Amino acid sequence: MENRDEFLKKMENLQVPDANPSSHQKAVKMAIMNAERSAVLGVWLVIVPCYFLICVFMYYYFHINMGWFAAMFTLLSSLEKVPYVDFLGPLVLFILPIVCIVINALSIIHVQVQKLGPDQRKIREFNISIKIKLWNILLILLSLIIVSVFISYVMTENISSIKN
Amino acid sequence: MKLNWFTRKGIFYLPVSAIGWVILVIAFLYAIYIFADIDSRSHSVSDTLINFVFNLLIIGLVYTLIAFFTEKRPAGIQPEE
Repeated sequence: MENRDEFLKKMENLQVPDANPSSHQKAVKMAIMNAERSAVLGVWLVIVPCYFLICVFMYYYFHINMGWFAAMFTLLSSLEKVPYVDFLGPLVLFILPIVCIVINALSIIHVQVQKLGPDQRKIREFNISIKIKLWNILLILLSLIIVSVFISYVMTENISSIKN
Repeated sequence: MKLNWFTRKGIFYLPVSAIGWVILVIAFLYAIYIFADIDSRSHSVSDTLINFVFNLLIIGLVYTLIAFFTEKRPAGIQPEE
């Protein structure tokens, strides 16, 4: 009996750990798209503009005067003159890299808006987390380069045509 | 609607159903037709290849786009965690 009272006393005096559940949040951060699938599609989306840009760089920057590199941009410029295929050039060089950026960004970015706590109802927190997925980030950067090269080309062409 | 027509191996999609195989065969036949058409109008082998590579990449892109949306995925697993 004494032992039991002692035990109960001990149990009553035990210090309960004070765990605050709000400080131990471990949210499952789901991305909208699958990272691996987005990377695979992204490779196919940027493969044509990359091929085109490599040909242009080889011809203009490295002055490799091979028919193979010259023929690639004569092919794209000739597409502009064909009535139903004239959209193909801007589509390949601008729209496809943009799509690549969007799908790869959706697969690595997680956005969350949450209230800070029950005592701070009016204050909201906006969290953006980016997963470090090498292939997705590389494809986004590559697509950004392609789009910026295309935009700068269009701008310089327009400026030179206005001046002339 | 789930369409399990293709499965992914690396960056390539392989057909796993009859419709998938039909799409792959159509893509192949179209590539052969394009090659023959370009070859009939070009003056050299390199001229044929230059124009054909671009068309082949476009065909590959369209095929991959179809396969991407009709890929076979494990049940219950949608986006990556």
